Amino acid sequence: MAVNLTDLSLPQLEGLKTQLDQEVEFLTSSIGQLKVVQTKYVEAKDSMNVMNQKNKGKELLVPLTSSMYVPGTLNDVENVLVDVGTGYYVEKNVEDSKQFFKRKIDFLTKQIEKIQPALQEKHGMKQAVIEVMNVKIQQLQQNQQSAPMIGPAKA
Amino acid sequence: MAEAIQKKLKAEVDKYTQMQKDVSKSVSARQKLETQLAENNIVKEELDLLDTKNTVYKLIGPVLVKQDLDEAKATVTKRLEYINGEIQRYETLLKDLEKKSDQHRELLSGLQQEFQKAQGMAVGKV
Repeated sequence: MAVNLTDLSLPQLEGLKTQLDQEVEFLTSSIGQLKVVQTKYVEAKDSMNVMNQKNKGKELLVPLTSSMYVPGTLNDVENVLVDVGTGYYVEKNVEDSKQFFKRKIDFLTKQIEKIQPALQEKHGMKQAVIEVMNVKIQQLQQNQQSAPMIGPAKA
Repeated sequence: MAEAIQKKLKAEVDKYTQMQKDVSKSVSARQKLETQLAENNIVKEELDLLDTKNTVYKLIGPVLVKQDLDEAKATVTKRLEYINGEIQRYETLLKDLEKKSDQHRELLSGLQQEFQKAQGMAVGKV
């Protein structure tokens, strides 16, 4: 991949820029999605703190729909049901669940860290392409000005 | 003469575009399998961490059904095997398709040259 950018023509650069644009957009949205999921796990992990002996037997409102609640009592503070993916739910105790969420958060952090350098690299490449394009455009304009007989090029 | 070749050329180009469509369809199908593989691997990892104390439920429609841990593990393992098999299948299919489109490309460029030659001859006659 040792192509000199200055050797490429303007349309080629334009094409390269669109391609890089798409790649940058894809990576950015991937990171965004990972971050959304990560926040969900962080929230889930935080809400596990409510599950302690102090809160056992306390009243709470259970949402049946998003606008209707029924009263209930918190009976079991030791176990929760965790979605592990593809439709499987596992009953885990609080400590295990916290570890599960921590695992997920760490996993997502690692994935984000993997994508970040790639995104930066693509971003840098895009910047370089834009710079070369600007230089080329300037050269083109100068050429037109120094040869005004070819066309009425008034800026 | 030129017209006959042009007709043939057009038919072959159509075939070629159809082939390209097949290729992209297979590629996206394989990508989907790839995602499923990753997802099931994660579930497998989680299930492997459990012991008999943990109860496993499977979501069937809106209902959670209690399931044996070993049974769940077996199901996921079988699913992984199936997905891996499917990926292999698509891999060979894609290789085959690529080879075919390469051959077809050669055929097309040959036809194009023939067509140009025939056109040149027709012009020469007039």
